[in-house]
Amino acid sequence: MPTIRVTDLHVRHRKTVALDSLDVDFGPGVHGLLGPNGAGKTSLIRVLATVAEPNSGRVEILGEDTGEHRRRSAVRRRLGYLPQEFGYYPGFTVREFVAYVAWLKDMPAAETPAAVERAVARVGLGDRIDAKVRTLSGGMVRRVGIAQAIVNDPRVLLLDEPTAGLDPEQRVEFRELLRELGASATVIVSTHLVEDVAAACTEVTLIDAGRVAYRGTPESLAALGETAAGVVGDNPIERGYTAALRAHRGPESAAPTAHPLEGAAR
Amino acid sequence: MTTSGPLLYVRSRTVPRTVAALAATAALAVWAAHELDAYLDPDRRVPVIALAPLFAAAVIGTSLYTASEELDRTAVRPWWRRRLVHLLTLTALAAALLPWAVLGHASFFGPSAMIRNTLGCTGLTAAAAALLGARLSWLPVFGYVSAVYLGASALRGNSVPLWAWLVQPAAERGAWVVALVAFGVGGVLYVLRGARAEGARD
Repeated sequence: MPTIRVTDLHVRHRKTVALDSLDVDFGPGVHGLLGPNGAGKTSLIRVLATVAEPNSGRVEILGEDTGEHRRRSAVRRRLGYLPQEFGYYPGFTVREFVAYVAWLKDMPAAETPAAVERAVARVGLGDRIDAKVRTLSGGMVRRVGIAQAIVNDPRVLLLDEPTAGLDPEQRVEFRELLRELGASATVIVSTHLVEDVAAACTEVTLIDAGRVAYRGTPESLAALGETAAGVVGDNPIERGYTAALRAHRGPESAAPTAHPLEGAAR
Repeated sequence: MTTSGPLLYVRSRTVPRTVAALAATAALAVWAAHELDAYLDPDRRVPVIALAPLFAAAVIGTSLYTASEELDRTAVRPWWRRRLVHLLTLTALAAALLPWAVLGHASFFGPSAMIRNTLGCTGLTAAAAALLGARLSWLPVFGYVSAVYLGASALRGNSVPLWAWLVQPAAERGAWVVALVAFGVGGVLYVLRGARAEGARD
């Protein structure tokens, strides 16, 4: 049973088509959202986060139609969202910033302090909880962003480039957190880093030019890279990524020596 | 240190700093009004009547900025009530503080003209925040007030009270109508739409 169902979604930014008749659904687990710059990943995440209105189409999250204002509030209570740029208030401490988002999520005031401490501890910032956010490094600020996204124990968690700015050790820890969160929630991670997808995701969706170019598991994408010839990439999943993109774009973009691709490339 | 949502909201919008800035604006207006010996000639109150509301409106406008606009959009409760309370509270505070600078001569450039201009300027600033963004919301009203103030002496015609409402005597009804309409339209625009998002997005 999918927790997110997207049907015939269209999003335009002025004259540019960001999402074009997109049909996709997501169930519990960690889903990697891959694609080149401008593919529509952020547009999809923002529509799912209910911060952007689609031009047309239907989005159901946790059984609620987010096109209806009253339903949207119910969805937002159970939603976590980390935007690419989330912005923070210079005078706020980590605790205050995460508590502010808990307030936005309408969490009960009595539960907020414990929930904030738990979320901050989960991202490894327990010892910096009373530090001003502006004094933290870029990687730490990103972890504050992740803490605010999980403060309400969301059933649906949307993360846009969550590992940007994290050092290798932090990324390994973050992948572990993703796996933990994905055991009970639907987690969608938009990223450029295919190694994050390979390490932490249960499924992968590749978007190109506003459409789904490929769906499968990290293993199936890596297998695609093993079988495709003439594609670039330092490891199987990178080669799979390139092969799936080329298959989606058609023969004119494929290398002359590439074999016809089979599987889930769309 | 607090985790109270309303208090965090107040701090996030720099309301304490805004209140302090409004008090400082009022104090400056009191000082300027007396330095100008305005009690000898009511017309010499015009700079105070025009500029103090402009500064107050600019201060209020910049307090409408939110650093976490994208996250704020995921709020469970609708924003319009918070925006309404925010705008009305600060406008009421400015309208209560600034008239102290021009007590007396109520029928000319006195407290009621100051209140009218505060409402009008704040309305223009709120509209600019909704259309341009909060951080630049002071710019259009600054340009408008400067143009009207500098050109006020050369103004002629029946429509002057409508577009030069800022430098009209308190008894001029047309000027009041324009200021109230500006406050109403600007306030509704801001309350319904919020400040325009600033910064690039994919």
